[in-house]
Amino acid sequence: MSSQPTGGSRVSLKDVKKAFGDNVVLQGIDLEIPAGQFLSIVGKSGCGKSTLLRLMIGLDSVTAGVLDAPALKEQAARIVFQEPRLLPWASVKDNVAVGLGEGQSGQAADQQAAAILDEVGLKGREGLWPSQLSGGMRQRVALARALVSQPTLLALDEPLGALDALTRIDMQALLEGVWQDLGFTALMVTHDVGEAVALGDRVILIDHGQVVLDLAVDLPRPRKRGTPEFAALEGQILDKLFGDDPRAREAH
Amino acid sequence: MAATASEGPLSRALPWLVPLALIILWQVSSSLGWLPPNILPAPTAVLQAAWLKLQDGSLVDNLGVSFARAMSGLIIGGAIGFSLGLLNGLSKRAEMLLDPTLQMIRNIPHLALIPLVIIWFGIGESARLFLVALGVFFPIYLNTLHGVRNVDPQLIEMGRIYGMNNRTLFLKVILPGALPSIFVGLRFALGVMWLTLIVAETIAANSGIGHMAMAAREFMQTDIVVLSIVIYAILGKLADSATRALERKFLAWNPAYAKV
Repeated sequence: MSSQPTGGSRVSLKDVKKAFGDNVVLQGIDLEIPAGQFLSIVGKSGCGKSTLLRLMIGLDSVTAGVLDAPALKEQAARIVFQEPRLLPWASVKDNVAVGLGEGQSGQAADQQAAAILDEVGLKGREGLWPSQLSGGMRQRVALARALVSQPTLLALDEPLGALDALTRIDMQALLEGVWQDLGFTALMVTHDVGEAVALGDRVILIDHGQVVLDLAVDLPRPRKRGTPEFAALEGQILDKLFGDDPRAREAH
Repeated sequence: MAATASEGPLSRALPWLVPLALIILWQVSSSLGWLPPNILPAPTAVLQAAWLKLQDGSLVDNLGVSFARAMSGLIIGGAIGFSLGLLNGLSKRAEMLLDPTLQMIRNIPHLALIPLVIIWFGIGESARLFLVALGVFFPIYLNTLHGVRNVDPQLIEMGRIYGMNNRTLFLKVILPGALPSIFVGLRFALGVMWLTLIVAETIAANSGIGHMAMAAREFMQTDIVVLSIVIYAILGKLADSATRALERKFLAWNPAYAKV
């Protein structure tokens, strides 16, 4: 048994501004994200990309402007953090059940949890403690917990940032597969430009609180790194990120 | 963590070798007359005293009385400490109101209150209960407070994002997160509990293991004095093992407790 497609929902921002006191973090953000799109958000540390993500998922409120996301009203928005944030004292299954919310138990809930665990490749591990799982598997549990309530909007805040390079490649493929199966709108913040291009239908670059680049990625999936088209897109983003400083680019 | 040395019958016997050797040395010294019985009676004499006290029923009676006192004091003091620890851990305002006072009182050795307690309560049961309850209160209070305060804030944020109400958040995130620390408090409290009870029973009591020891001292019955000490040691060890068993059951998720 596998999970049924849930579909996605759109997000639109019009002239959105976010400030913490006098500190303006985001300004003049205009974005239309159609339902089902995989949006990658890149930028340097402190550029405001995580704040933008938190706004779109309803964890923070906008200071000015209009944010319209039907998923927020339907409570169909979920987030996966860089750390899995699993309850260490709850089994894999019980951790996933947290995603179902209050008063959701019984056979239907069990079936939903089992289906989503199957979807993320954790079938048969329902009874394990988080401490018995590898880092990649823990993040899969976190993903299952976010997806078990069938959200139409999923935010991913550097979801693979804490994993080793090989596990990352695995998890990127998994994430892409799950997104293709379920069809939710995905918003992923990452500092890895290659990852942004590999997964995103579209990559936006945030710098000093503004969208400075909005790039459609029109490559067939699954994408192969190292092709000229892939490298060209990566190069375009890196150019914009680091300007003409070749050493900074080299380091990336 | 010497994981390699944890298997085999030899390594299992290892912790018992030194105590066993000491007892044999003790017995031999007594049998050869190096240790006069009025200083330290032989282990066999202590066993004999235990047998006599078992037969006339006084050992079981005194043991029961001491155990009941210890448990009542633990439950009363522990419950108050646990509740206040939760309250102050969950509410910043309550902590600001109460914690400084409690921290101040904590620095008074509770046994220093014995003269005052005797004046307040006389030498009856309530005086002993008060002392035990006061003694166990602080380790439980401090460790509950510490445990609640140190629950990973990222988990609490996660719980809120997933729509947990306060009750669910407490039951599923905060309490299980604080539990390892609460168990540390419980183990400290058990140590304080026996210590306080011994002192309270030797000073003023007409029953209990401490009283049995003091009464025996009057008649120079060193075998019974030693017997009382051994019983305290056994009770302390049993309480500790019980807590360990509880930890293994409730903290099985934690690799540090899974197999000890």
